[in-house]
Amino acid sequence: MHVPTRGMKIVVLYCQHCVTYGKESPIAPREHDGVVVQTVMMPCSSKVQASEVLKLLAAGADGVEIVACSDESCRLLVGSRMAEKRLQYAQRLLNEVHVPKERLGFSWKSGVGPEELEAIGLRRASAVEASTVEAPGGGEKT
Amino acid sequence: MIFSEWKPLDEIVRQLDGRKKVLLVGCATCVAECAAGGEREVETLAPLLSLAFREKGQPIEIVTCTLEKQCEWEFVEELSGKATGVDALLSLACGIGVQALAERFPELPTYPGVNTSALTIREEAGIWASRCAACGDCVLGETFGYCPMARCAKSLMNGPCGGTRENGKCEINETLDCVWNLIVERAELRGELESLGRVRGPKSWSNSRHGGPKRVIREDLRA
Repeated sequence: MHVPTRGMKIVVLYCQHCVTYGKESPIAPREHDGVVVQTVMMPCSSKVQASEVLKLLAAGADGVEIVACSDESCRLLVGSRMAEKRLQYAQRLLNEVHVPKERLGFSWKSGVGPEELEAIGLRRASAVEASTVEAPGGGEKT
Repeated sequence: MIFSEWKPLDEIVRQLDGRKKVLLVGCATCVAECAAGGEREVETLAPLLSLAFREKGQPIEIVTCTLEKQCEWEFVEELSGKATGVDALLSLACGIGVQALAERFPELPTYPGVNTSALTIREEAGIWASRCAACGDCVLGETFGYCPMARCAKSLMNGPCGGTRENGKCEINETLDCVWNLIVERAELRGELESLGRVRGPKSWSNSRHGGPKRVIREDLRA
């Protein structure tokens, strides 16, 4: 099974409207304590499809986090909720094939800076690690 | 449209056990409309299967292709190059598409990825409901445009039955309209309630599945 060690890669897909800095300032992938967090700006979190987050995992990402605008600040009104539903659907699919659903995560945020986006990615890395830690007796915690 | 749903993923994984390279084939027609086998679903299932087999320690290569129609030979032929070198085919089309692939590529095992269960209409986003049972003897002209074969839990031709709730819902499901209640309401709307009193002869099932596998020949359309 997929057992990540430090040397993980986490992709954070975030809505362009939930950040405080300009669209022209993409953040380069950076490593923090063995975890590379790559942030990718989206025109709207609702543009993210289940197929895309699953492809990111299949291509080698250890975890994916979608960061959507808080409900009241979503410019599409229902964009963040649509993104959350799609992520929950992808989590259910992962669960059905016995892959820890913690490899996908969702955050509602407004006015975040680059440091917070990276912190969200690091929290996802910890959740992925925790989901694959072997439980006493040889079983696996999922 | 023909309505299909993904098979349980465990079943799909079990079917493909031991395969190294699989061609996953979608269909851009009915199964795309019901969000089971179009390009989006193909591109969702492919990485999911890759993850599932990697988790099992049995890496698998999934090649994808979505045909315009999996039930037409001209479109199926598009696969001739892509099917080279694969162990198996996995189809997200209805049973017609699965059988077309199996017939075109008899040397390869072809597995169904969906269960096909009904002829439906999309009531709204994410909701589909039966509208036709392909019974071979359409009665919609007599039932005011509501199909009792597809929409009555008992397929009654002489409803409503005693199980209809006071609010016009079916006894098996409180969210399901009793179709015979709807028929009566529409008959009243048109002032034709008495037409429902006419005795209809027994429904003919000879033109449905009961008549054996159907094979229709239209000489006027043949070369």
